[in-house]
Amino acid sequence: MKRNSFYLLAGIVALIEVGIFWLSVELEKPLLIQVAFVLGILLIYMARKRVEETIEDERTAMITQKAALRTLEVSWVAFFALSLGSAVVAFSRPLGLRPPHPLDPNATHLVMRLTEPDVLPFNLFGRFAVGQLVLLCLVIFLYVGFRVYYARKYGEWDRDEEQD
Amino acid sequence: MKNKIKVYRAMHDLTQEGLANELGVTRQTILAIEKGKYDPSLELAFKIARFFGVAIEEVFTYDNAAGSK
Repeated sequence: MKRNSFYLLAGIVALIEVGIFWLSVELEKPLLIQVAFVLGILLIYMARKRVEETIEDERTAMITQKAALRTLEVSWVAFFALSLGSAVVAFSRPLGLRPPHPLDPNATHLVMRLTEPDVLPFNLFGRFAVGQLVLLCLVIFLYVGFRVYYARKYGEWDRDEEQD
Repeated sequence: MKNKIKVYRAMHDLTQEGLANELGVTRQTILAIEKGKYDPSLELAFKIARFFGVAIEEVFTYDNAAGSK
């Protein structure tokens, strides 16, 4: 397989994944996108092994390593900061389930507790998932950014007389 | 490091693509080495010198100023 064919295939797989994600949301079946995502990664990995041209050597490996290390350095700080904030939100209320017996609604001092339950609302899990996706996107953008930086530094897109 | 890869390529009538294929690296790597943007590993430096049939010092010379980048 040619290198360009591989990149084309990777693009098609990405588009299909977007479609399956939409379908998964429509059908409310998270397993669909989860399985499709893993299969897509496997397909790309197998296709990459079939590329005949050299697409990775010691220089690209070094660029990848440096970009990955910088991404890790920045992203762990971002993850930790967000996790600290989440922990503060979580521990500012008692953890656990709502008491099995409803409290007396006539007790005025308990009205506040009934309108605002003193346990974590369930939709926090949804926010957590979205937060994770945002962080994941941040990691991807950081990695791409650092990779572009190091690729430029170590001459990824330089031109020479052979290309003109 | 300074290098004379371009000179040796010309002597052997080789393109960057041709040399890259012979050495099993990407053309961009040869280009980056030639331009002094990337210093090859010792292994690759030896491969390059051996391919041209010369000593490694003939192709690569250590440049103190460039070494500190």
